[in-house]
Amino acid sequence: MSIKKPIWQQPWGYAESFIISFGVLCIGSGLELVLPVNQSTLIYPFNLILGLSFFILLVLAHVLFRKTKIHAFLSGIPLTISLVSALSFMVILMGILPQIPSQQNGLIQQLGLNRMTSSYPFLLINLFLLIVLGFVSLRKTVPFKLKNWGFVCSHWGLWIVIFAGGLGSGDLRRLRMDVYENKTEWRAYDDQDRYCEMPLAIKLKDFLIDEFHPKLAIVENKTGDLYEAQKPSMIMIEKDLICRLQGWKVKVEEFYMTSGRAGDRYYQLSDFGAAPAAKVRVVSPQADTLQGWISCGSFNRPHESLKLNEQFSLVMTVPEPKRFSSEVTFFTPDGKKQDATLEVNKSVTVNGWKIYQLSYDEKKGRYSDKSILEVVRDPWQPYVYIGIFMMMIGAVYMFWKGRESVSE
Amino acid sequence: MIWSNFILVLVSSFFLWLSALICHKNEFLKRLFILLGTVSIGIFIAFLWVKLERPPLRTLGETRLWYAFFLPAIGMITYLRWRYNWMLLYSLSLSLLFLLINYLHPENFSKTLMPALQSPWFVPHVVVYISAYAFLAASSLVAVRGLYQHYTKTLDRKVLLMADNLVYLGFAFLSLGLLFGALWAKEAWGHYWTWDPKETWALITWLGYLIYIHLRYHMPTKFRSSLWILALAFVILLVCWFGVNYLPSAQFSVHTYSQAP
Repeated sequence: MSIKKPIWQQPWGYAESFIISFGVLCIGSGLELVLPVNQSTLIYPFNLILGLSFFILLVLAHVLFRKTKIHAFLSGIPLTISLVSALSFMVILMGILPQIPSQQNGLIQQLGLNRMTSSYPFLLINLFLLIVLGFVSLRKTVPFKLKNWGFVCSHWGLWIVIFAGGLGSGDLRRLRMDVYENKTEWRAYDDQDRYCEMPLAIKLKDFLIDEFHPKLAIVENKTGDLYEAQKPSMIMIEKDLICRLQGWKVKVEEFYMTSGRAGDRYYQLSDFGAAPAAKVRVVSPQADTLQGWISCGSFNRPHESLKLNEQFSLVMTVPEPKRFSSEVTFFTPDGKKQDATLEVNKSVTVNGWKIYQLSYDEKKGRYSDKSILEVVRDPWQPYVYIGIFMMMIGAVYMFWKGRESVSE
Repeated sequence: MIWSNFILVLVSSFFLWLSALICHKNEFLKRLFILLGTVSIGIFIAFLWVKLERPPLRTLGETRLWYAFFLPAIGMITYLRWRYNWMLLYSLSLSLLFLLINYLHPENFSKTLMPALQSPWFVPHVVVYISAYAFLAASSLVAVRGLYQHYTKTLDRKVLLMADNLVYLGFAFLSLGLLFGALWAKEAWGHYWTWDPKETWALITWLGYLIYIHLRYHMPTKFRSSLWILALAFVILLVCWFGVNYLPSAQFSVHTYSQAP
């Protein structure tokens, strides 16, 4: 390389880039302190108009200043690296500090560090990155050379993802609906519990849940904490299971997924609230034998454990859900009806809204008559997908070509 | 319980790879023993998959197992390409270290798989990530080697090129893992990116390697800072993989592989 050039003399390099990025961070933080909290997001058609004007200005600036030194700097790697570093710094802060609203009003809250993604420094750095990434992509696209196609895909892909994802966030509607068995619901609520009417109604015909068997575990009597001196510390109950749990030998003599207590034992039954129960025989390390029933109980039945000694008890854990789904009927304003099954990871689209199975009444478990659904409308999704697929093509290109040897 | 047989894998891989070290003069035997040691981990994974009745990719211990499987595979591939014995040695030792960690931290044999993870995206998302981690670990080993060589003034230019190639492969996988995750999240929950702590740290990792790639491209002769970045990027990667669970921000993450009942 050459001798060191004084700072701020053209062409600008790393020193100037880092100073500029730092300056942007400072300006952003200053704005954050002075201006009120930025809560508004752009909605259609303002985001579209703003986005289009931004893009046109970007292209215009590129065409006009293509040959200038400032353009070379703005589309150069030093500025890219400094901006990505500034972004990384903010994301690291975000990865350490919990991103939750807070009642306190310390420096963290004033600088917006607990709601980083809507803070001014974050928005400014991203905007700057979008400009730099746009210039670079334009420079490599016009004039187009075939050998640059991998570069063009990955860089434009990323640009489109940030651009469409950012602008579209104002139009994204994410709501929840609580639907009850045999009832029809058309209202949805947002994360601040504000209700609104939906352009579709949902009737829950049936909510189905399939559970794993509960597990055996040993807990400390005093604290109720799981005792984990050895692994495995929990073993799934099966019929006729014989296993060793922390030195105790446990044999499952009877097991019912749904049962109820009557007298001194449990019987299989399928009442509302019937809980799993097992009859176990336990042999302690001192060869004492204990026998008894354990049950994890349910929302309307008590649980029962088996006291092993002064210190420990054998318990049954609450079964974990294996699968849950809602049998529903959708009604749309045009009078159409549509039956569907909603399941986690299997959403259904109706009238421009995507409906997801989210949760249920977890206290009631398998007896829940409530199904919690999430309804999402995201008109910008196809554009973000285009960006994501372009980035994927770029990644595959990178994998295929590897690092081309550079003559040094 | 299949995890109690895990010691068999640790011992057999250790002795097979030790045999490879002993007869490293014989190219055929060396490769055969390394391959057999790797295959034995693969067989264990297959058994685990069958016995658990679900893909063994949910808990940290299960991901470490895959990692211990991919590392020697990648070490072998780079060895075939670049002919460095030390690369093999590093990746095999790292793999054994991960097997040992698994042996010292046994986990519950648990068939349960939460409905959120029951998706065709689950396996590609995690497998692509684990192979990215393995490539990037290899690249960091190379970076440490390069730094050592730099400070002892014996730097071999081929080492830098190897680091670059490993980063390119690893970065491609990392990007795919990230993008698969985004698509899966959109299809399953309605949003690509929720700034879950794991996602935040995955982005930091991605940005770290992004900086390395651009710096190397721009200033191929200034390799010292690049090598330092590469060595440090791996620390971030480990935070993302294991450390996230211990951070204050991770209380509500969907990516903490909790063991609680």
